[in-house]
Amino acid sequence: MGGYAGQILYVNLSSGTIEKKPLDMAFARNHIGGLGFGARIYFDLIKKNPDIDALAKNNPFVLMTGPITGFKLDGAARWTIGTKSPLTGFWGDSNIGGFFGARLKFAGYDGIVITGKAENPCYLFINNDTVEIRDAGAYWGKDIYETDRAMVSDLKSETGRSGTVFCIGPAGENLVKYASIINNKRHAAGRAGMGAVWGSKNFKAIYVNGTGKIEAADPKKLDEIKEELKEVYEESIFIDALRASGTPAHIDVGSLAGDVPIKNWQMNEWEEIDDIGPGEIEDKIHAGNRTCYGCSVACKKEAEVKEGPFKMEKGPSPEYETVATFGSMCLNTNIESIAKANDICNRYGMDTITCGATIAFAIECFENGLITESDTDGIRLNWGNAEAIVAMTEKIGKKEGFGAILADGSAAAAEKIGGNAKEYLTTIKRMEAPMHDPRSAHGYALAYAVSPRGACHEASLNFNVEGGSQMIPEIEELSADYEEFSSEERAKLNVACQDYGMFFSCCAIFCNLGAVPLNATQAISIVNAITGFDYTLDEVLQAGRRLWYLKRGLTNLFGARAKDDQVPERLMTELENGPTAGSLPDIDRMLSEFYEIRGMNKDGIPRADVLEKEGLGDLASALNLA
Amino acid sequence: MGLFESSEKFEEVLGGFFRELAENKQIADKLLKSKLIIRFSYTDPDLIIVVDCSGDKLDVRPHDTETKATVEMSMTADVAHKFWFGKVNLTKALTRKEMVAKGPIPKILKLLPAIKPSYAMYPKYLEDNGYSQYNIY
Repeated sequence: MGGYAGQILYVNLSSGTIEKKPLDMAFARNHIGGLGFGARIYFDLIKKNPDIDALAKNNPFVLMTGPITGFKLDGAARWTIGTKSPLTGFWGDSNIGGFFGARLKFAGYDGIVITGKAENPCYLFINNDTVEIRDAGAYWGKDIYETDRAMVSDLKSETGRSGTVFCIGPAGENLVKYASIINNKRHAAGRAGMGAVWGSKNFKAIYVNGTGKIEAADPKKLDEIKEELKEVYEESIFIDALRASGTPAHIDVGSLAGDVPIKNWQMNEWEEIDDIGPGEIEDKIHAGNRTCYGCSVACKKEAEVKEGPFKMEKGPSPEYETVATFGSMCLNTNIESIAKANDICNRYGMDTITCGATIAFAIECFENGLITESDTDGIRLNWGNAEAIVAMTEKIGKKEGFGAILADGSAAAAEKIGGNAKEYLTTIKRMEAPMHDPRSAHGYALAYAVSPRGACHEASLNFNVEGGSQMIPEIEELSADYEEFSSEERAKLNVACQDYGMFFSCCAIFCNLGAVPLNATQAISIVNAITGFDYTLDEVLQAGRRLWYLKRGLTNLFGARAKDDQVPERLMTELENGPTAGSLPDIDRMLSEFYEIRGMNKDGIPRADVLEKEGLGDLASALNLA
Repeated sequence: MGLFESSEKFEEVLGGFFRELAENKQIADKLLKSKLIIRFSYTDPDLIIVVDCSGDKLDVRPHDTETKATVEMSMTADVAHKFWFGKVNLTKALTRKEMVAKGPIPKILKLLPAIKPSYAMYPKYLEDNGYSQYNIY
C-alpha cells in the first residue's frame, strides 16, 4: 500500500505522554483519510461522555492528512483539523493548505490526536522520529508572524533545515471564539474557532520537520494521470482566473450574479464594488504569488501597502471572502484597509469571515443607535469608515474594550447588545454566513442550514456545483442543468454534493479550488494509484455519506436540533434591486425534502436505522435513538 | 431552433447593441483600455462579430473573419442573448463549455466590470428599437 505514512501520533498534554500508533490499513481503506479518520477517532474518544465544553481539557483535537497529501499534484496539499467548536458549540472542522500536511507525512505521521491540557504554554516538536512536548514560554504572547519566525530561527539548526510551523496567535491565547491556527504565516485553518481550543490547552504550536518520502503504490499510473491532466488544466478558465487573481477574481464574476453580499446582506448591487475588485488589488496592493506544496496553480497572492494609514509589510493578500467581509459588507471601498485588516487577522490569528461579518453587524447596530461611541471606545462604526474597521479588528484580536464583546462572534454580541440586534444577524448555528448569497443560488441556503459546523460554503461541494465551477459528469445530480433562481431539486443536489464532497475535499483530500477541473474518474484514479486500493465511485460515495452522517451526528450529540437549521431572516429577505431582485429560496421546502432524503426525524436527527445502515450503530446509541 | 430566426436578424439586434455600447463613453473608454480584439463566433444562427478595442474608437465589425483576434469567444446566439440580460451564470457557462473563451483570460476577466452597466441597457435597447419580442426577461 502507498500514500500513507503509517502512524498516528497521540499526544496527551495533561500527562505529557506521546504515543505512536500504527495506522490500521483496514481502517484506512474504510475511512480513506482526513476527516474520515479524524471525525471517527474524535467520536470514539468522546462517545461515552459527550457532554464536554469546547474549551475544556476533555475536548480532544484531531489533525489528519489524506492519502494524497504530500504528493506533487495540483490541488493536493490539503489537510484537516477537527474538534468541538467554541464558536458554535457543535462539531467544528477546518481544511487547510500550505506545507504542514506534507511535512508531517514526510516525518512519518498521517495525523495527530491531542488530548488534555498542559499546565504551562507548550508546543509540539517533531523532527522525523523525535517527537517532544516542549516549553513555549518564549513564544506565548507573540503574534503568528513573530512566532513562526522565532521558532524557525531557534530550531532550524537542530533539525538541519527550516521546519514548518502551525501556530496560534494572541487571539487563540485570549480565547477569541473564532481564533484560527495558521501554517507558514499564511495558510489558515480559519473557521469555527479551532485556535481557541489550542489556547485553552496552553498549546501554542507544532513545529515539524520531515525528511522522509511518501511513495505511491503505482507511480507509473500516477505519472500517466498527471500527464492526462496537463491538458485538462490548460483548458480550465477557472484555473487561469485563480492563477491570475486568486480567489478575489470572484468579486468580478460573483457581483454579476448577485452573489456578493453588500451592506451586511442588505444589497447585492453596489456601484463602487470595482474599487475592491481584482483590478484595484493588482494596481494597489499586489506584491507577488505564492502556492501550497506541489501545486502549480499558485492561487495565493501577496500584498504590500508601502505608505499611509494602512501601511503593512509584504504578506498574504486578502482572499475573496476577506475582501467581501471587510469590504462590500461594510461598504468599505479602501482596498489598502482591507489588506491591513487581513494582516491584523493573520497576525492575531482570527477567522476573517467571522471577524469582518461581525464588524459589519456591529456597524449596523451603531448606525441604528443600538450602540454608540461610548460603547465602542470612541470608534465611530459607520458604513465605509475604513479606519474604524481596522481599529476594531485590532481591538478584537486583543480582546480589548468593545472588541471583547465582538470576540465571541456576532450571535453572542447580539445577546449582549439587545434591542433588535438579532435582526441584523447572518448566523446559522452561531456561525456567520460566508460571502455567497443564497438569493443567487437557492441551494446555498440549504447547504448553510444543514452544514454540521454552521453556515459554510465549503461544507459540501454545493457552492462549487451550483455556483458552476465544478461539474461531475459521472454523477447525475452533479451534472444536471438546474433552473436558475429556483429551489427545485436543490435538496437532491445538496445530498449528492455532501456525499461526493465528503470524499473529495474531506477524506482524499482534494482542494476545492485547485482540483476543481477533476472529474470523479480522475479523482478516484489518483487516490487508487497512490494508495493501491481499488475504490469505486459507489465506495467513495459510501465513505462520504458515512462521514456526513457522523459529522451531523456529532453536531446532534452536542445539542443541535431542527431549530438550529433555520436560515436567518436577513438572508431570506427579498431584494428589490440588483441581479437577484425578487429571488428567495424556499427554505422550508428544501429542508423538508432534505430531511426526507437523509432519513432524519422531525428533530433533525438521522434515524437509527439510517445510521445503522451506514455502519454507525454506535452513533445511534450515543444519540439514544435505539 | 434558437430565438433568432436568421443570422441577419441576430446581426441587426446584437450588432446594433454593440454599436450602441461603442457610443457609450463610460463603457467604451474602459473597453478601449484593454486593447483587445475580440471575435465573437455565434451559432444557431451563425454570426461572427469582431469588437476591436485596439484603436482610439471602439470598432464593431460584423462578418470579419480576417482580423487576427486576441480573444475568441464562442457560444450560441441564445446564450449570448441571455448573457446581455445578465442572466447567465458565467462560471457555470464556461465550466460546461456553453461559452468557450480563448485568449488571455486575465485580460478577458478585466472586461467584466466594464460591461456590467450594459446589462441594464440591453432590455431598454430592445424596447426602444422595436425588438420587444426578444425582451424575454
